[in-house]
Amino acid sequence: MSPSSFIPTARAVEQATAAGYFPGRRSVEITDNQRLDEGVYRLTFRDPYIAAHAKAAQFVNLFSSDPLKLMPRPLGISEVNGEEVSLIFAVVGKGTDEFSHLRAGDTVDVLGPLGKPFRLQDDAHYVLVGGGLGAPPLIFTAQQLAQRPDCKVSAVFGYRSTRFADDLVGKYANRVESITNAEGNVVDLLNQIEDSINVDGLTTVILSCGPTPMMKAVASWAQRRGIGCQLSLEERMGCGYGTCVVCVVDTLEGRKKVCADGPVFTAEELGWA
Amino acid sequence: MGIMSMNVYEPHEWKHGTKVAGVPWKNPVGTASGTFQLAACRWFYDVSQMGAISTKGVSPVPWEGNPTPRTAESPAGMVNAVGLQNPGVDHYLVDELPKLKELGATVVTNVAGHSDDDYAEVVEKLADSPADMLEINVSCPNVSHGGMSVGSDPKTLHRLISRLRPITDKPMVVKLSPNVTDIVSIAKAAVDAGADALSLINTLVGMRIDIRTGEPIIANRTGGVSGPAIFPIALGFVWRVRQALPDIPIIGIGGIDSGEKALEYLYAGANAVEVGAAALYDPTAPLRIARELDDLLDSRPQLAAKLAQGQTWR
Repeated sequence: MSPSSFIPTARAVEQATAAGYFPGRRSVEITDNQRLDEGVYRLTFRDPYIAAHAKAAQFVNLFSSDPLKLMPRPLGISEVNGEEVSLIFAVVGKGTDEFSHLRAGDTVDVLGPLGKPFRLQDDAHYVLVGGGLGAPPLIFTAQQLAQRPDCKVSAVFGYRSTRFADDLVGKYANRVESITNAEGNVVDLLNQIEDSINVDGLTTVILSCGPTPMMKAVASWAQRRGIGCQLSLEERMGCGYGTCVVCVVDTLEGRKKVCADGPVFTAEELGWA
Repeated sequence: MGIMSMNVYEPHEWKHGTKVAGVPWKNPVGTASGTFQLAACRWFYDVSQMGAISTKGVSPVPWEGNPTPRTAESPAGMVNAVGLQNPGVDHYLVDELPKLKELGATVVTNVAGHSDDDYAEVVEKLADSPADMLEINVSCPNVSHGGMSVGSDPKTLHRLISRLRPITDKPMVVKLSPNVTDIVSIAKAAVDAGADALSLINTLVGMRIDIRTGEPIIANRTGGVSGPAIFPIALGFVWRVRQALPDIPIIGIGGIDSGEKALEYLYAGANAVEVGAAALYDPTAPLRIARELDDLLDSRPQLAAKLAQGQTWR
């Protein structure tokens, strides 16, 4: 069996869902691949199932076509438009390098959507705090929140250098603030905008995704101000769907799987508050 | 039947069953311990359709496992060092096992311990459970006590299995490590002490190093290698044990990603096989492989007949 010989998306999804199961691994068609920054790409593929079911902070397993590279690359969903799903990723190894060379018309194997999403409510001001490649899942979060007219969304993004996600999140957020490493970090930015964070009648909630030290600092910042905080974690995964018990995180209720019990946890659950 | 035409969800009447130590399996393909969690896998396929489900190792008390990172990719495979994180046998008995039996699965309960006392305590608790078979894990390379350290020495293993044997009437499978000088002497010790069957192999000790830091990728430093990369090695172990022990039931494990590879194990003398790593990159792989094998056995009536009677090709 060659890894690229999986059943095309429509039939695979139809067979699984008709039997009452979650669709398994399948081949999907690439519709676009854009370079956003040095080593950062936005890959788009057509998959009506993921497009219809994806929720904020969920991710998709992408698979290399190289039979020597079998393990999935879990990538956060950054946007859904019609039947098309976009993922933003950085080239960090040979697998992601392969994805950077995919072109419209090529196929790639996927599994998803995976993971438990952010828990969203009405009447809230959501402050989306992202760092680096933690920003893309928050673009999708903003897109999902745009369907809730009772909510207000502010994006607070930190970048190494290029502000690659500002325009994308700007399509959906009410306000976009960003900072680069040379200027400071997202906590500096939060301090700068703190006075304008409270919106009358809305509960402020922070949703964050980025490097662990950044998220710990954000959780601590939120806790000192009594602001609720949900964090989408990253950990080296095996299967991505909860069966191999590789990607665990310590919580106050013991070790949990980042892929299936998360990736979203509250600061309280993690004991970071 | 090629994968393009395989629909693992359509109802299927299994044509070729097997028996392992007297326990009927509806087909010769099970899931390998450590790669199956009911809460995850049940959303992808009907797990009761597997020949058997070998569950994650259970210990007397909950185990936290190793620190992260716990995995690294390797060519045509992966290295893992989970360290048998599990919620303990009491949780297993009230949660996972009843659910699996309710679904109609044949269950092989994998037993883990840090000491002989640990293994005995778990086996005692499982003795009156609805588990169909017990699989004694004396081969995990990622725990500091028990696991592979028990299964690497014939005398130590003989002592443990002799102690467990009178505790239960359930068929007892001993899962063997490939990380030994002479697997046949280990296999013989297990059988002499009362093992009803053997499963082999567990993972091979291996590691990956991050060349940017010069440090091991996995926090435990070393881990166990699995995946298609280990297929010919694992098959060779099954062959050698079968040559030395013509009568003991054997479950072949290691690198199976297709019905054809499962068939190679049956021709090497296995009664059944288990699929592990393939499920991690294709959740329905175990059931697909079982279906592929069921069709491959149609044109091999002599082999199929032997398996159905609990016999083996060699």
